Amino acid sequence: MKKIILSAFIAAGMAGRLCAAVAEDSKIFTPFFDMTMTEAGYLPSEGNIFSGANINTQVGLLSKITQKDHLFGLYNFSYAGAGFAPQDSKQFTDRSMGHNFTIEYRRVLGEKFRVRPGFSFGRDYSRSGANEAWKNGLYNMNTAGLQLAGDFMFDTEKNGIVTLTYLGKSVKFPNYTDLLREFMDPANTAAANGGLQDQTLKQVSLRSGWNNFFGGLTVTQQDYKNQKVVANTGIYGDTKQKDKTTMLDAGFHHKLWIFEMSPMVSYSMHRSNQNFMRYKFLGATSTNLLDGSSDVSFIKKNYDYNETTLSVPVDLNITGKWAVGGAMNITSRAYTDRAKRDSNNNYITGSKQKNMMSTLTGSIRKRINDVAMVRLFYSLVVASSNNKFEKYMPYNYTGNTFGLSYQLSY
Amino acid sequence: MKRLILIFLSLFLIKGVAFAKIDWESKGMQIAGEIIANPAGFFYDFQQDLESTTPLPPGKTFGIQTGLFPTTVPMTYVNGSGKLRLHGEGRIAPGVPQVDLIGGYWDMLAAKMATKDSQTIDSAKFNGYYMGAIVSSSVSPRVRTFWGYKRSVLSAKLRFKPGEEPDFLGTKVSSFDTGFKDDFLIAGIETPKGVSKLWSMQLNYGLKTQVFSSKVSWYGKYFELGLNIFPEGVLVFHPVWNFHLNF
Repeated sequence: MKKIILSAFIAAGMAGRLCAAVAEDSKIFTPFFDMTMTEAGYLPSEGNIFSGANINTQVGLLSKITQKDHLFGLYNFSYAGAGFAPQDSKQFTDRSMGHNFTIEYRRVLGEKFRVRPGFSFGRDYSRSGANEAWKNGLYNMNTAGLQLAGDFMFDTEKNGIVTLTYLGKSVKFPNYTDLLREFMDPANTAAANGGLQDQTLKQVSLRSGWNNFFGGLTVTQQDYKNQKVVANTGIYGDTKQKDKTTMLDAGFHHKLWIFEMSPMVSYSMHRSNQNFMRYKFLGATSTNLLDGSSDVSFIKKNYDYNETTLSVPVDLNITGKWAVGGAMNITSRAYTDRAKRDSNNNYITGSKQKNMMSTLTGSIRKRINDVAMVRLFYSLVVASSNNKFEKYMPYNYTGNTFGLSYQLSY
Repeated sequence: MKRLILIFLSLFLIKGVAFAKIDWESKGMQIAGEIIANPAGFFYDFQQDLESTTPLPPGKTFGIQTGLFPTTVPMTYVNGSGKLRLHGEGRIAPGVPQVDLIGGYWDMLAAKMATKDSQTIDSAKFNGYYMGAIVSSSVSPRVRTFWGYKRSVLSAKLRFKPGEEPDFLGTKVSSFDTGFKDDFLIAGIETPKGVSKLWSMQLNYGLKTQVFSSKVSWYGKYFELGLNIFPEGVLVFHPVWNFHLNF
């Protein structure tokens, strides 16, 4: 589920990048190239050292067919390797890789308006710590969809823009199987792997930017094609799962004397009609599903949460080439209904689960030239939660990260 | 400035080490296990270190290269690579990109010596080659993008003499016969760092095996310094030193 939301947000982000590529007046073809790569070592308080990388490569070409008609094609390769992640999102050892293509037609209407219809398709792979082949990933997904965006430009000296975007996508998980259902009823494969995660995704976003300030509202709706909602009897009913995420975000990127700041804040509300059955062990049974201490418990609205993220990176440009940087990132998630658990996997009635992950980073940045930079960094990660059940996923830990990142963009 | 950087680096490292609980023995076992599970993948990462997948500098017709570290030393990959320009940028018509052919071969000297002198190794053969083409186009006076294709092939065979098979992590290893073969797409960008010095960053992606690497390189008239990163490899970082001449 998180992957889909992430994918949707990336799509929104890509739309922003697409928008950023502007044709040079003198050229019919204008290339767009952005490559960032981070490789880091991770040392958690529990467990051994491991390494992970993040790679994002975007290559595109903007062709100016006429003065008013432009065509933009973009390929995006992304890889997210092993690493620390906010609680309830992924295991440290999970990795993902994606290939996504977007083709967008741009039509300028007058001096202030522009429409951008387009389509996109992609394939995303996932891999767990078991090192399965990429093609066998349980959460591999294929996406295809359409986009329609409209831009209103104002105050051109300060790049003022308001963009309204609609995105519709079909998302399919060809390998997904419900392992628990498969284990409990091996003969009934149709219920276990009949495209349970397949869904349609619709997203509407209204964003604005001016003088390097930006902000927006993004609403994402996920309609599952086959996945049914589990009822408080422990049986799947007839209602299909629907998830909705509403996100507000804002930030800016400005320089003041030697200080270069790019803070960003976002607030997300995730709501799902899906509930959760917690089995303490395979084959567990219970007569009182509403008791959070039973071997089997029904947790209503298990997935609903509100999440705030705050990111405050600051670079001190000591010279034209060198900068010393510091950054603070906080991700705080509060579940609206899910109770916290004790170390024995019992839900504590009357409580609500809260997670927080804070990262403090110190770095040294060297600007190689006007298109490239390298950064050496160290981060201290502190993850805390009132959920004390940590058999399968750590919720309370500290971690050290030290790494290197490169960025080259044109 | 350098002193300031060293102080910061020291602080970060000391802070990191203060929290460190690294189990090096366990890490070593994990790395050894990964090599045994996929020896061809491990050796192929070193082949990528010697593969010359950047375009010839503008105005040059051909070039030769040999990998020094970590290929010749310590892996004993005796190797040679070449590049040949088929078309200079803008020669036929304005905007038509530069086209170079690339290729190279390597053979592991240690494997030959081991076969000759060892009491335990019966036969060993480690070698590989690559070939392909790079298309490059200037997008501004200071930036050149390049795109390419390469076919990479590696062969790794090792057989121990009967009765001399070593125990590795509790398993007797008698032989392995493995290889690696894939078609790669290359995308990169090159920008000047100084007079006659260039800096580039590229992504190599294997279409069948989905092996990928990121190469960051600094190169001048004679030498190339690089940092090749294999996020899914056994040894993630490969510092690289290559010697080349372009004519």
